[in-house]
Amino acid sequence: MGKKYTNYLLLAPALILLAIFTIGPLIYTIYLSFFDWNMISPTKTFVGFDNYTELFQSETFRKIIFQTFQYIILFVLLNTVVTYIFAYIISHLIDRWKPIYKAAIFTPSVISLVVGSMLFLWILNPVSGPVATVLGWVGLSIPNWTVTEGTVIVVLSLIVAWKVFGYNFIVLYSGIVGIPNEIIEAAKLDKISKFRIFTDIIIPMSSATGFYILIMTIVQGLQYVFTPIRVVTQGGPNYLSSNLIYHSYQEAFDLFNTGVSAASSVITLVIFVVLLALQFLFVERNVYYEN
Amino acid sequence: MKKIYLMMILTLITVVLAACGGAEGSSEEGSDEGEASGEKTQIEYWHVNAETQGGESVDKLVEDFNAQSDTVEVVARYNPDMYAGLMSNLQADVAAGNSPAVVQVGWAFLDYFSENFHYMEPQEVIEQHHEEDADFLEENFLPNILDLAVNSEGSQVGVPYSLSTPVLYLNEDVLEEAGLDPAGPETWEEVREYAKAIKDETDNYGIYIQEPADTWGQQAMVESNGANFIEDGQAAFASEEGIEVFEYYQDLVIEDESALHIGWDQGIQSFIDGNVGMLFTTIAQRNNVQSNSEFNISAIESPGWEGEERRLPAGGAMLAITAEEEDQQSAAWEFMRYLYSVEGISEWTKGTGYVPPREGVADNPDGLQDFLEENEMMQPAIDQMDSVVPWASFPGDAGLEAEQKLLDMRDVILGSDVDVEETVTNTEDEINQLLD
Repeated sequence: MGKKYTNYLLLAPALILLAIFTIGPLIYTIYLSFFDWNMISPTKTFVGFDNYTELFQSETFRKIIFQTFQYIILFVLLNTVVTYIFAYIISHLIDRWKPIYKAAIFTPSVISLVVGSMLFLWILNPVSGPVATVLGWVGLSIPNWTVTEGTVIVVLSLIVAWKVFGYNFIVLYSGIVGIPNEIIEAAKLDKISKFRIFTDIIIPMSSATGFYILIMTIVQGLQYVFTPIRVVTQGGPNYLSSNLIYHSYQEAFDLFNTGVSAASSVITLVIFVVLLALQFLFVERNVYYEN
Repeated sequence: MKKIYLMMILTLITVVLAACGGAEGSSEEGSDEGEASGEKTQIEYWHVNAETQGGESVDKLVEDFNAQSDTVEVVARYNPDMYAGLMSNLQADVAAGNSPAVVQVGWAFLDYFSENFHYMEPQEVIEQHHEEDADFLEENFLPNILDLAVNSEGSQVGVPYSLSTPVLYLNEDVLEEAGLDPAGPETWEEVREYAKAIKDETDNYGIYIQEPADTWGQQAMVESNGANFIEDGQAAFASEEGIEVFEYYQDLVIEDESALHIGWDQGIQSFIDGNVGMLFTTIAQRNNVQSNSEFNISAIESPGWEGEERRLPAGGAMLAITAEEEDQQSAAWEFMRYLYSVEGISEWTKGTGYVPPREGVADNPDGLQDFLEENEMMQPAIDQMDSVVPWASFPGDAGLEAEQKLLDMRDVILGSDVDVEETVTNTEDEINQLLD
């Protein structure tokens, strides 16, 4: 009996913090999504599901949901697929300078995203940035990406990739290095191609790590991209670089539409729960756990 | 070997952390002195000026004021995130029952502030507590400047303090290369010819018209052409004159390709790097543009339209009195009286780059005369003060959303060859639906 209490007592600090800073705000957000409120006025007007219908009828909001998925696809591509390949190449296909590659790839992870965004804004300035200047020598130009549909999302995703690539890389690298070398040596002796070693040995045997990175990429990527959006485009041009998380912020803290923002947050939550459930259903069952 | 890499990474981390650590601002200057002299009335002054944006001037002004006043002790409090951040802090503190005495209110929040918070009109405070200053506002401020702080119900909410207007910066080297008069264009019609000539002759962009997250620069163009952004609390920019301006703007970007359409930071950077001939932006950017560019640079007054009266919206903030107690209100004016003195305004202008809001400072040897002789680029902003009008602030809760719609409209018009009349008219209708 006493032991049981001790267990709960030891858990309590974490549980209390979780309740105050995660579960409490979550419930309050759901509550707020049924009201019309500007965050300052003393009165909140109950409006039922109006905030939700307003969002679903808005063409802009549908566009934003679509763009959210565009971001997710780009993140998975840049921060999981490409990272996996890099980790494989550096762990098994390269013999020299490994520490230099690891250090170089990891370094951006310690630099603030605001700083990174400002840097990219300067480097990729289509008129007078260094990239534009160098391309200009051979008669090429870069598109005016901050105001162009499509390219704006790609470049913002690249900024995020620059930041999170290093961390994901180190984690995947350690996952791949943990695979017993005999298996790979045996495969090499049997003249199995490098590509098949990657797809048939490396990926399945490090899939637990890979799955963790996949989830983190999707969940954290959208939060990370908030910073470059805020610094570079503020969601523009005409919402073409916005996503669900940025839109919730903008409605709440730029426009003080607390109710609409809360509704948008709840919709975001539902979408993510569904996404994660799908992942656990279809991806997780194929994951190999060593123990 | 490995140790060397570890050292490299550690050094890097240390450098990054050290760089981040320097940004903390001090928020409660002078509170120690307040405790020492108990009989002084203590009031709080809320401002938005970070260290890089005139924060040092605020500290100096408060310190000097406290040193010379026997009755009032001011504590300055810095609010991050500019005027919106100050508004939300104010809400929290008012709810908790401690109002500051003097606050900076950005022009865009004029109606929002006066609808949601309790304030005292400055003239009322003066008449109750400081008879000797009864004519101070009238004597020292141009009427159009005082009107900036009048809300849609006709109440004088505060006194203009930080003032900025848009000016046209010129890259004289580029103008010369294009064979243009370095004195620059006087009207928007001439601006188009200049921009085109620059594009054709030098292959640089002709002009960049500022595109930050507000439509202040566009309002200057529209209102100068005789259109109004707001009439009787309703959006009114889709008039014939208004549409004409947006068509002109679209033509510059899309038809002539002589104007750069890009975000604010990148636009100013492109001008500084010498790739754009002219820059239409706020005088508050003077220091940045002047000290970073390596060509011959000058600033001239905002262009007007042929045959129309020029009207330029003011940027910046006013000071409003939010003190609840009578002694605090009296102390608030005593402090403001000091801030608006010739010395106070001179210090403020030098530290921030804003235009002095009152008369009798620019040409005063005790004021800014020497400073302005050295900083010629400030002069056009001061000369055009008689053209200043209020920054359109849409009333009510939907005001901020209306401003967002204007931004969206700008993106659409400049993004592709859309029908301007239809776009502008639709946006006006949407905003008016919001406001109803």
